[in-house]
Formats: sequence, structure tokens, C-alpha cells
Amino acid sequence: MEIKIMKNILDRNQNKANEVRTLLASKKIVMVNIISSPGAGKTTLLERTCEKLGTKFKLGVIEGDITTDRDAQRLVKYDIPIVVINTEGGCHLDSNSISKVLDSFDLDNLDILFVENVGNLICPSQFDLGETFKLAIVSTTEGDDKPAKYPMLFRESRAVILNKIDLMPYTNFNYKSFRDDLTKINATVPLMEVSLTRGDGLDKWYEWITEQIISPDNLH
Amino acid sequence: MHEIRIAEDLSAIVLDAARNGNLSKVTKINISFGQLIQIVPEVFEFAFRVTVRNTVAEDSELSIEIVKIRMYCKNCGNEFQVKDNLFACSNCSSTDLEIRNGKELFIKSIEGDQVWK
Repeated sequence: MEIKIMKNILDRNQNKANEVRTLLASKKIVMVNIISSPGAGKTTLLERTCEKLGTKFKLGVIEGDITTDRDAQRLVKYDIPIVVINTEGGCHLDSNSISKVLDSFDLDNLDILFVENVGNLICPSQFDLGETFKLAIVSTTEGDDKPAKYPMLFRESRAVILNKIDLMPYTNFNYKSFRDDLTKINATVPLMEVSLTRGDGLDKWYEWITEQIISPDNLH
Repeated sequence: MHEIRIAEDLSAIVLDAARNGNLSKVTKINISFGQLIQIVPEVFEFAFRVTVRNTVAEDSELSIEIVKIRMYCKNCGNEFQVKDNLFACSNCSSTDLEIRNGKELFIKSIEGDQVWK
């Protein structure tokens, strides 16, 4: 005999993500799910953002890390609330782990919550955390083929950051090929080209993320 | 590697349905995966086998349908299949699109033998 089920396999994750989204919306908090390969610049982006916007807005960070708290240690000096989730080998965060740690934050005292997902381009893009939007970071040293290989992430991200543009002359990164692939997958996605260590292009990022924080569209 | 977590969630749903339906044995599981999800069927199959070891679904066959990416054009109403990662309307070239298929992680049904009473 056949039993019809007809349901999303990740229903549990989706239901929890919906709860998180509703809670954050009621507290008017924007949550950004940052996804990239290891070493692309997620933590450095958070360092720069804390330096520039840490006094202007109330920031919080959830650090998804496989085993250590090294990323969180880099952010301690900015005096913002940080919670580490160790996935113990797990390749992505899920909505249940986010939901559990939200209690550790003073949600009435937060404008934006950055979630640094585990460094990985496939798995994190499949698990809704309840975020307001996803942000993809890719760096020139990884090669220009990332959008073509991981279309879902680049299709679903609200913006893309291309980091390490200062290193482009020393790599075989083909900018045109990268740009063409990204345009095919997501023609209207904003692309911010930066060097997070040198500071190139960061004004555009600060302006863009500020718009996201104050945009009423993100707050209901 | 997300295959492992998805396999765990799938086996929980299967075993629950088998219990509720009084199945003594699950013979087949019908699921569909969207192409965008980038599941590797062999890895998924392996992960699933581990999660159903020593259960009524131990010997079940996994029937995986891969669903192609289809988009709806909000500009001209055309529905089309995405080929070669090109997310633009095949009729009017608009990029104002809505996804119709391709993100499925879906269990359709299970088949099996009922406990004889």
C-alpha cells in the first residue's frame, strides 16, 4: 500500500525559521545570514562593520564555527553582544540553533544581527535560518567560477561582495567571466567590490547596509 | 554534506508515517529534489542507509526524481525551464521572475506492507 505524505522534508527547519522571522520582525531587528567559503572574508567584514557602524547602530553577532571561538575572539574588542554556535563538524547552521541562542541577546536593544554561517557555499544556502536576507561573499583568490558552480546562493542573496580585489593582479581571476555568470544568475543583485584589508570600496558597503538597517521594508 | 541532515529529517518523517500507517516494512520512498538544491544522489543514498539501519525502512528503495528549474516571468507570463544558469525569460528576456520549480526537497509518498491483524 502507498501512503501519501506530500511534505517538505525540511519542514521542521522551515517552521522554526518562520518562528524566528516573526520574532525578529516584532522586535524590528534585521538579520543577515552571511555565506561564503572559508577565508573569503566574513569575519573581516564584521570587523570593518563594527569599527564603522558599531557606535551608530546596535549590532549583534552569531558566530557559526565548527569547533573554535577564534572568529568571535577577533570581535570581542568591539564590545558588542556575540554568541558562538559550535556545530561540532556540522557544515551549516540551522534555524533551531539560531532560535536557541536568541534568548542570549537583549532583543529590545538590537538593530541588526549578523549571522556568520559556517564557511561553505552549498549547505548553508539550503537552510533557512529566519534571516531577513542572505549576503554572499566571494573573493578573487577562490576563482571566478563560484556563481556558476553554486547558483542557488547567488540567486538567493540580496547582495554579493567581491573581496580581495587588490589581489586580482596576482591571480587568474577572470573578472568578465565572473560578472557575466553572476548577471545570468541574478541580473539585478548589487555587487560590491572591496578589499576588506585595505579598505577599497567599503563606503559603498556601509551605505548599502545602513539602507538595509533603516529600510521599513525590512522591518515588518 | 547537507545530505546527512536532510537524510535524517527524511527518515524521521518516513518512520513516523510508517508507524501511523501500521507498516511492518517500507518498500519504497518517493521523493523529489530540485536541481538548485545540488543534492548528490549517491551521497544522499549512503546517508539515508545509515539513518534507517535496523528500522522498518532498512531495505526500502529510494526513488529520487530530480526536478528541473522552472521560472515564471512576471512581465509576460511565460513559464520556462532554466538552462545553463540563465535566469532570464526565454520570451521577453525580463529578469523579473518567480521560481516555480527547482527548490524541492519533497517527500511524496511511501510504499510498504501493512501489519497483518
